[in-house]
Amino acid sequence: MTAAAAMVRVEGLCKRFSVPRREAGLRAALRALVRREYRVVEAVRDLEFSLAPGERVGFLGPNGAGKTTTLKMLAGLIVPSAGRVEVAGFTPSDRRPEFLRRVSLVMGQKRQLSWDLPAIDNFEFNRVVYEIDPVHYKRRLEELTALLDVGEVMRRPVRQLSLGERMKCELVAALLHGPQVLFLDEPTIGLDVSMQLGIREFIRRYNAEHGATVILTSHYMEDVAALCPRILVIDGGRLRFDGSIEALRRQIRPLRRVSVRAAALPDDPTAMGRVVLREGGRLVLDVAPERVPEVVGALVALPEAQDLAVHDAPLEEVMRALFGREEAADLGGAIGHAR
Amino acid sequence: MNAADLSEGTDAKGRGPRLLFYLRLVAAQLAMSTLTALQYRLGFWTEGLLGLLWSVIGIAPLFVAVDHLGAVEGWGRWELVVLTGCFTMLSGLFTALLQPALRASMTHILKGTLDYVLLRPADGLVLCLTCAFQPWHLVEVLGGLALVVAGLSLGEAEVTATGLLAGLVTGAAGLMALYAFGVLVLCASFRALQLQALTHVMEALMDFGRWPAQVFPPLLRLLFTFVIPLLVMTSYPAEALLGRLSWGTVAQLAAVSATLLVLARLAWVRSVRGYTSASS
Repeated sequence: MTAAAAMVRVEGLCKRFSVPRREAGLRAALRALVRREYRVVEAVRDLEFSLAPGERVGFLGPNGAGKTTTLKMLAGLIVPSAGRVEVAGFTPSDRRPEFLRRVSLVMGQKRQLSWDLPAIDNFEFNRVVYEIDPVHYKRRLEELTALLDVGEVMRRPVRQLSLGERMKCELVAALLHGPQVLFLDEPTIGLDVSMQLGIREFIRRYNAEHGATVILTSHYMEDVAALCPRILVIDGGRLRFDGSIEALRRQIRPLRRVSVRAAALPDDPTAMGRVVLREGGRLVLDVAPERVPEVVGALVALPEAQDLAVHDAPLEEVMRALFGREEAADLGGAIGHAR
Repeated sequence: MNAADLSEGTDAKGRGPRLLFYLRLVAAQLAMSTLTALQYRLGFWTEGLLGLLWSVIGIAPLFVAVDHLGAVEGWGRWELVVLTGCFTMLSGLFTALLQPALRASMTHILKGTLDYVLLRPADGLVLCLTCAFQPWHLVEVLGGLALVVAGLSLGEAEVTATGLLAGLVTGAAGLMALYAFGVLVLCASFRALQLQALTHVMEALMDFGRWPAQVFPPLLRLLFTFVIPLLVMTSYPAEALLGRLSWGTVAQLAAVSATLLVLARLAWVRSVRGYTSASS
């Protein structure tokens, strides 16, 4: 991707926070009143990546990894300590109105809608703030409310909406002005499964129809797996992986998981692969990819074999393995080459 | 539709002058606050009743005392009524417009929802200073205006067009000083969260504005003119209305307010650049 074609370009991005610290107890608290100690936390260290227009990208990482801080620097809310960020051709921290009209941020744990008013009043307010002309406003509102099925919901006070209904209205409010870049910070947090699916489907459809670049952080791996062809793994403020989920799986957990139920199991299944579970008539193995056809053939031949399945390792397991690895820092070598 | 035309309908060619935009924006913010006030009928009428009650409570003692008021440091009884009117108007504007906006903005900072305010394509400070509004407290402003009119009509001071103009200019300077002071308080809450009590301190300090500048010893008079410009907000506008203030002094007061405004703006820019948001 050429620099000119990139919608988001990040070079050597760093963010350091000065955080007060003290020991436990009253004495330490009183001492901190007079003389407070600070410690510098490097929340983001030397990030480099670029995103093409229309890409859907997921930021993955454990709590405190620097995902949200990065997202907020891209949105222009936090000023970087060092490095360079460019989004839609603008430096986000300048917070120029022309830039702010091109981006939107939805946070699952914070709301922009006024609690006491129906969402429709909030939408009208956004129409004024973003200077959307009435014809476009009407068209977009109709489109978004139809896609998210909130035609009636938006007329009830926000405080009376369920979490899922509120999140749908938050999405409408965030998209009315047609942002080119959409930042989503845990948009499905706390939602039930069917609502999560609905929101995911909407985001995918919105991206496909409008070509907006979507950057997502989520603790629900299913969100990221379903929505983002590309993931950036951030840990300890550093970019540890940039590529597809498949590439990450191949790199971290290359073995495939094969499970079967049978009337009698082989006496020594370790010859086929690593035994994950052997319980009653059920056997679960981790098998090297090149040996899968051979192992499947052997398992099918077992007496009364049924429920034979071959899976990739679950993403949660991949992430657990990734963040638990001592040698994880070595993954840096894969950055940018693992699609 | 694709990324290229996503912003269709919000592009530059469709936008009018910035002043008009900000007027529309402030009107929309005030409309949102009014809609919120109207959302709960019982709360709306209770607020209204309390607003009226506070106005009467604030003004009633003056009516009782007016016959017994002697001169205070050169101020006659009707001149003191003008001063009380100026104070009541300013206090009404503070409780109707500035105080709720400061509290709401401090809550935004505390909860991290200032993120949404700062992401809007408009001046963040304007958005913060107009984000909440208590319409019933405007009754106090009307009460204050009535006192000023009564004091000027019934008093002995000659009311001139120049005096009225000087009063308006000084009043505007006082309002600017009040807002600048409010912004500095807001900026302090970026560094130390949970400073909502500061708005009460501001309210308490404003009570000094009930009195003429002349009752304060010189040091306090300097303090309340140049550092915490309470006298610029009430005493001097009243003096200007009464035709006692020279244009030189009016210009000095306007300069004090303008300086405060510049300081407040610089403090705001610095605070926003240091804003770290709240973790989610």
